Amino acid sequence: MAAKTTEKKDELLHDHNHDGVDRRGFLKCMAWAGTGAFCVLRGGVLRSYALSRLPELGSKEMAGELSFAQISDSHMGFNKPANTDVVGTLKAAVDKINALSVEPEFLLHTGDISHLSKPEEFDTVDQILKGAKPKDIFYVPGEHDVLNDDGKQFLERYAKGGKGAGWYSFDKKGAHFIGLVNVMNLKAGGLGSLGHEQLEWLEDDVKHLKHSTPIVVFAHIPLWSVYPEWGWGTEDSAQALSYLKKFGSVTVLNGHIHQTMQKVEGNVTFHTAASTAFPQPQPGKADSPGPMKVPAEQLKSVLGITDVNFVRGQQALAVVDSTLA
Amino acid sequence: MSRSVSVAVLIAVGILSAGALHIGSRDFSAAAAQQKPAAPEVKIDNFSFGPATLNVSVGTTVTWTNHDDIPHTVVSSDDPKAFKSKVLDSDEKFSFKFEKAGTYPYFCSIHPKMTGKVIVQ
Repeated sequence: MAAKTTEKKDELLHDHNHDGVDRRGFLKCMAWAGTGAFCVLRGGVLRSYALSRLPELGSKEMAGELSFAQISDSHMGFNKPANTDVVGTLKAAVDKINALSVEPEFLLHTGDISHLSKPEEFDTVDQILKGAKPKDIFYVPGEHDVLNDDGKQFLERYAKGGKGAGWYSFDKKGAHFIGLVNVMNLKAGGLGSLGHEQLEWLEDDVKHLKHSTPIVVFAHIPLWSVYPEWGWGTEDSAQALSYLKKFGSVTVLNGHIHQTMQKVEGNVTFHTAASTAFPQPQPGKADSPGPMKVPAEQLKSVLGITDVNFVRGQQALAVVDSTLA
Repeated sequence: MSRSVSVAVLIAVGILSAGALHIGSRDFSAAAAQQKPAAPEVKIDNFSFGPATLNVSVGTTVTWTNHDDIPHTVVSSDDPKAFKSKVLDSDEKFSFKFEKAGTYPYFCSIHPKMTGKVIVQ
């Protein structure tokens, strides 16, 4: 099923939004505008769809017990050639969310809200996200959100009720959501880190839950080893995941790497979201993970990573779609 | 010993500022005559510190400059930290004067895979 929709996507050059712009034209002028994911929990299993694909989805795909949208890496304040209009591309993401036929219950922002942790950068994002129809927004910090002040500002603005550096959990329609912080106290030469205190809290947080409870974990840096050479992983994520082994359905949502990737490992499905601001190279395909300036004619290949989709036959834990944005 | 080291550093600085191929002898002698303290620079480029290992003499001020499109920091890996920059946006600099001999490992606290060290003799 996922394979079929993936093929279809590449042929699709028509005006699905009836806005006078076909897909290719839109990509040329808007680049990664409006990136984000629509997630729907159906039968206890989370499915994630790139926002750019939604016009092609039917009500059947969008229906479920619960739906929400994920956005990530808005990097407000970034103004280099890779994208000189991060305000515009974040607004485009909000427009896509508002255009959904099924309104998401809430939004998740998986970090790097700001580029330099400046108050005015956070203010701008807050202002733009006020325009989103879903009013509940849950955040976890990226490393760009905790510069210079050990995350005090983030905690004050976005995770007031949180523990430690701002981790927390909540329940929605039978699913248990856990926001983790893995960007604090990073060690020289190391990866993302959760730390002892947070791991203890996590173990305790899930102890009382039934094994059938769908679990959704979200954090900025991937909780799986995407590419440790670039720091794309979390050193103590294995321990965190060991506490979640007993659950039948675990979904992990991350940002940080500015591209979509998916992986299924046992009971856990991992997803990373694209950035609303700028793309980064595929692991190891450049000298460094810095912002990638994408000429229009190369855009499709850059966005084509979606073919990495990992799908497990009929019992697919995640029918994941790739992003073309 | 310290004299020969500082001359070597001056030459290195001369090469940097003269653009590698052409060293104006006038510049060099003028600098030497004024006994200017050497000011070696570490370039932050492509998510790495260059040079990754820098040898300087005691009393030298080292300056880091961020040439990337992404912010970085320069933070001592020691406990307690010998030095810690604020976040450096593109083209921003951080300087630190090394008063004591020793090896000073450091890293970017935002991208901890980026490491370097300054050896002070």
